[in-house]
Amino acid sequence: MRHAIEVRGLVKAFGDVRALDGVDLTAPAGSVLGVLGPNGAGKTTAVRILSTLTHPDAGTARVLGLDVVAKADEVRDRIGLTGQYAGLDENLTGEQNLVLIARLLGASRPQAKARAAELLERFDLVHAASRPAGKYSGGMRRRLDLAASVVRRPEVLFLDEPTTGLDPKSRGGLWDVVRDLVAEGTTVLLTTQYLEEADQLADSIAVIDAGRVIASGAPAELKRMVGGLVLRMRPVRPEALPQLVVLADGTIGAAAKIEEGEAVVPVAHAGEATAVMSRVTQAGVDLASFGLDEPTLDEVFLTLTGHRAESNDEKEEVAA
Amino acid sequence: MTATTWNTRRGTFAQTASMAARSLASIRNNPATLIEFFMIPLMILLSITFFMGGQMMGSWQDFLQYAGPTIIVMGLFFAIPTTGLGLHADLKSGVFDRLTAMPVSRFALLGGRVAADMVKHAWALLVVGGVAFAIGYRPEAGAADVIAAAAIVLAFLFCASWTMVLVGLTAKTEDQIQTWMIALLMPLSYISTAFIEIDTLPDALQWVARVNPVTAVAESVRGVLAGDVSGGYLLSLAAWCAGTLAVFVPLSLRAYRRKLMN
Repeated sequence: MRHAIEVRGLVKAFGDVRALDGVDLTAPAGSVLGVLGPNGAGKTTAVRILSTLTHPDAGTARVLGLDVVAKADEVRDRIGLTGQYAGLDENLTGEQNLVLIARLLGASRPQAKARAAELLERFDLVHAASRPAGKYSGGMRRRLDLAASVVRRPEVLFLDEPTTGLDPKSRGGLWDVVRDLVAEGTTVLLTTQYLEEADQLADSIAVIDAGRVIASGAPAELKRMVGGLVLRMRPVRPEALPQLVVLADGTIGAAAKIEEGEAVVPVAHAGEATAVMSRVTQAGVDLASFGLDEPTLDEVFLTLTGHRAESNDEKEEVAA
Repeated sequence: MTATTWNTRRGTFAQTASMAARSLASIRNNPATLIEFFMIPLMILLSITFFMGGQMMGSWQDFLQYAGPTIIVMGLFFAIPTTGLGLHADLKSGVFDRLTAMPVSRFALLGGRVAADMVKHAWALLVVGGVAFAIGYRPEAGAADVIAAAAIVLAFLFCASWTMVLVGLTAKTEDQIQTWMIALLMPLSYISTAFIEIDTLPDALQWVARVNPVTAVAESVRGVLAGDVSGGYLLSLAAWCAGTLAVFVPLSLRAYRRKLMN
């Protein structure tokens, strides 16, 4: 089957910084590809190349079988883009923004108005239709931005960190919208810094670091690779930490560690955590706090690369 | 769904109009900006007329009659950097990323800004021209000639604005655009016959003043309003205009593509 997105050996340098250093990505039509990585990993650069905004130095990128350099016009005809920075005119109202996009895409004035109304309704923005986009809250702005990128129902949609900076409620709302679009057959490439987001939305995930794909696969595979959940326990008396490690290792054979006053125990599932907890209770160790965490992006990186996810804002600035 | 049945290629002209409408829509949302568009040319007209006119020609009324129209042209000329500033701001925001990733003519993205600014210049011309009339300026020619003179001014501004498109695309900061404005527009305006007579200049500058496009537009406008059309200056203006477009439109499009690809 033909892939909606096919990237081979993509290279892009900005001065001395190799933003992309030989990246391969593929996404079958109708799927969601999550590109996961810290700031400066090259995510934005990859999206800009795929959406025809930047030329690669080497390698090929095809969208719907069309080369993004040679067939840029045809690619533009069939994609939608929601960039990291809202692609809205802040002086225009929500409705005017959508009408403008529709008009530029060939709609007549009545068609444009009708489509804008439809999208405002769907993205829950009817109440703010006649307010300037500059006055929108972060969540509303992202929804309007997303609406603007689906005005003419793109076959492939690029979302560059669509929920960065949003509160959990807005984030969940945006996820629902993306799921709806996917259900209608849109192929989505989304970049994110959040493992949870990739896990929620993506059929497959590519983890990128310093311009290279360092791991890829289905979310479940990736999580297996990085060891699933983490149980954290903070004893009332710090001297009890070594005892906690011994108890945990004795119960589930895990490789527990001590980190910043906490015993950190990798567990395969919640049941193992319960087993460790009851063993600790039996042994009479008093805990000040405990918690069960999903692995963070940092832990994914630690496992995959041996180093922590370094946030490098400066590099992303160059890439943007 | 209706969305997929649109004819995907409206012409470049229609797309330019949509982009122009976009730049102008902010006026509808914030009508107070209408005042901003004519403040600079209005203040230039009033201050030069009242503070310098008497000294230059004995009475400010005589000066207004001689130099009023050309000072309006100069004032509007000073407003063309808004095209560069507006484009610069557009490019810094995410809007142009979205528009560039759409099947929209590159010319329309730049030309829309110029077209919108032409509407603003026309509005400013109307207001400031009205003020000049109100304080006593009277054209010798008839209404048709006044309209012709206005058309000449707007054609000049249209061509000149494309230099600012290139500046807006290539300048790194807004300060740079302001600097360019002073460096380019001030000498062009002052070494012209906009409000001085050519033989008052040193010899070397007389030559500059004669070939200066601001002189060409000033003399063309002055001539048309006096009912005495000077073909030479009109021709010179047309040549300047065509030359500017021939150089700056392709350069601007090229600068735009380059800016994107890096």
